[in-house]
Amino acid sequence: MAAKFKISATLDCDVLVIGAGGAGLRCAAEILERKPGTRIVAVTKVAHCQKSHTSTAQGGLAAVDPKDSIDKPIYHMFDTWKGSDCMADQNVVKKIVDSAWEQIIWLENKGMHFSRNQEGGLSKRTFGGHTVRFGEASAFRAVFEADRTGKGIMDSVWGETLRNGVSFVNQSIATELLFKEGRCVGAVLFCERKGEFVAVCAKATVFATGGDGQIFQVTTNCRQNTGDGLAIVLDAGLPVMDLEAVQFHPTGIVGPGILASETLRSVGGILRNKDLEPFMEKYAPKMKELAPRDLVARAIETEIQEGRGIMNPDHHIEHVWIDLRHLSDYVHEVEIPEVTSFFKKFVNIDPKRELCPVRPSNHYQMGGIPTTEFGEVQSFNGEIIRGLYAVGECAAASFHGFNRLGTNSILELITMGQFVGQRVVESLADKLPELPADAGKKSFTLFSAYLDQKGKENLEKIREESRALMTEKVGVFRTEVGLTEAIETLKALKERAANTTLACKSLKMNPELILRWELDNLLSISLVTAVCALNRQESRGGHARKDFPERKDDFNYHTLAFMTEFSKVDLGKRSVEMSIFESNCEHSERFGIIERKY
Amino acid sequence: MQETCEIALKIRRYNPDNEKSWIQRYQLEAGRILRFTDLFRKINKELDATLAWNSSCEHGQCGSCSVIINGKPMLACELLVENAVAYFATTEFLIEPLTIAPVVRDLIVDFDKAYERVNKIKPYIIEPVENPNSGNEYKISPRHLERYVDATRCINCFCCATACISSHHSFLGPNAVMASIVRLMDSRDQANGERKKLLYSEEGVYRCHTSKACSFVCPKEIDVAHFIALAKSGKLESDA
Repeated sequence: MAAKFKISATLDCDVLVIGAGGAGLRCAAEILERKPGTRIVAVTKVAHCQKSHTSTAQGGLAAVDPKDSIDKPIYHMFDTWKGSDCMADQNVVKKIVDSAWEQIIWLENKGMHFSRNQEGGLSKRTFGGHTVRFGEASAFRAVFEADRTGKGIMDSVWGETLRNGVSFVNQSIATELLFKEGRCVGAVLFCERKGEFVAVCAKATVFATGGDGQIFQVTTNCRQNTGDGLAIVLDAGLPVMDLEAVQFHPTGIVGPGILASETLRSVGGILRNKDLEPFMEKYAPKMKELAPRDLVARAIETEIQEGRGIMNPDHHIEHVWIDLRHLSDYVHEVEIPEVTSFFKKFVNIDPKRELCPVRPSNHYQMGGIPTTEFGEVQSFNGEIIRGLYAVGECAAASFHGFNRLGTNSILELITMGQFVGQRVVESLADKLPELPADAGKKSFTLFSAYLDQKGKENLEKIREESRALMTEKVGVFRTEVGLTEAIETLKALKERAANTTLACKSLKMNPELILRWELDNLLSISLVTAVCALNRQESRGGHARKDFPERKDDFNYHTLAFMTEFSKVDLGKRSVEMSIFESNCEHSERFGIIERKY
Repeated sequence: MQETCEIALKIRRYNPDNEKSWIQRYQLEAGRILRFTDLFRKINKELDATLAWNSSCEHGQCGSCSVIINGKPMLACELLVENAVAYFATTEFLIEPLTIAPVVRDLIVDFDKAYERVNKIKPYIIEPVENPNSGNEYKISPRHLERYVDATRCINCFCCATACISSHHSFLGPNAVMASIVRLMDSRDQANGERKKLLYSEEGVYRCHTSKACSFVCPKEIDVAHFIALAKSGKLESDA
């Protein structure tokens, strides 16, 4: 069948951006600002870039306002370092924090509709983990656009790139990276609407494919976030880093998985198990519901694992309750109206009268494609791959280490987007490289196999089983037994995936074919995540091992993983960059290996 | 909590390979709080893997899953089975793709075509007003922002454009017009002349028949018609 496939067109450009969310388009905008007329092709898997996952970010953007007499960049750096559980790279932390305010003003000048204070300046709010004077008091550091900050960013970078001329290729996927003499020279795309393969030849290729949240059954991530970018990079023989570092939010609404904000607990919401027992007393006798995010997530997960959860019959997901019935009408209507409306809209529950179903929900991938502080992609031994860059949630520079602070993710998108853009511009003097002669061959083989495969297995069922397995065994809690089981089951699922028959054999707008391709990506990334988690015999940040509950200095390094063929994973290490600690600058002593206690 | 509903989805299908269009009926047992996107997934898993539909965030923030359900354009991810049964007073639903762009397959339309009209109004700052506080933010009073902030919540799901009784061919459409109005009210952009030329052109606001269908169907509950009315009465200029 592969013989009937062909490359329908070859596009030449200066820069190929794969993934047109906040990070990819901020990068494109920077390139066009510095070098107008640069030919940029931006590819997105969604119907239009405005539909990207960036658009769903709610909270805000952390940035120290130079006009603020109390807050300082060094405090923001410290909070990020401490939050990361001593795993963030300090050169990256310094770089991002130092340029944060400049980025806010860039967005403001590009028309983002930030919420304002009475004086007409930018409003600011506090967020967990953000403090002044090294933990002394909460910092008012996050600027925001109501509860849709991500949408504000997305609309601004889309507008800028539209204005300055980017060629958008929507509803299309990258299926294969192209290399010539060790240099990345572009990629093969599959354009879903037409059902055609297109080869793109570029001086620079920027990966901005977002997170991999869909590897879990319960996640706040968009349906598109299936870890495709990471899978393609692995497939090209390049490493991924720290995939075991996954953030879970304690209270996702059962069904859509969307966040029920922390506010619910701070206004007095009580978590209850199936016997309606207020269980937080057992886990945090003093703080109870107000304990930190990860502790609450672990408490809920324990209740569920020990059989005190409730099964939702419609979504087949176990959960606990959050009880808001005792709160006054004022609290419901004035302090938590959005969340109340989410429960009404997505589960048809009136929180004033009924218990609300919540459970920990996968939220963010701290790890990703290892890069330098300029977004240059690195090989297994740390060499820079020429022509290839990665930015945003798919990349790990690493700003977040093993645990990300709220409001630091969209800050990373725009700052790193700009830095990568700058670096890319420097490489554009090169002449256009040539494509390898066998461009597309890998994609043709893969897609023809998908169409030719026969068997009685059900694609959606395998996908569901894999995601449920990850939530159960590689989720909030991990153990050696569970992880080993998960790895074995994933291998079996991979074999079963080969026995699926596609009902629709067309190449043209065939979501079933894309689901099949995604399934391979999901299984690869799930497997590598489980292997990395098994290897790390400690608990740190978002990675919690029940059998190794303490953090250990032996593991003060980033995990590198690469996979030459499915289930053959090799692991390596990258050291944590600690230049602030080593600089002897004022307060540098606070940037050593410190305890993450709040 | 256990009760489920026996429902029927009649879906308008289109196969681009043979250019055939037909209506296919699916009978399914559905949990009461499943959303219509969950139902599509259930059809794919249990009844028909070939049914094509679109979604992304699946919580009403991206506007990818808009379809027409019993005549009303809406987001499939926001419609729960029991609400649908109550709202439409039936257990049978006709589901069709949006009408504002060509259908690619089944419920999937070509969003590139739909967005052409939004691109036309230039949804960005065309000519920035010089920022007097260089290196810092502009001063924009919350009261001024309040006048147009609701319009900035639009996610371009094209439900309003689908419901609009004016012709899709001659009118830019409610969402595109509203995006232009946002920048006219935004004190940071001074390209008002250029914007107004298009806004008050043959394809601009006067094509609107004031049916207010846009406001009625907007999933974000934006009063789109209010902003179009402001434009018609010429009350857009900022007084910041």
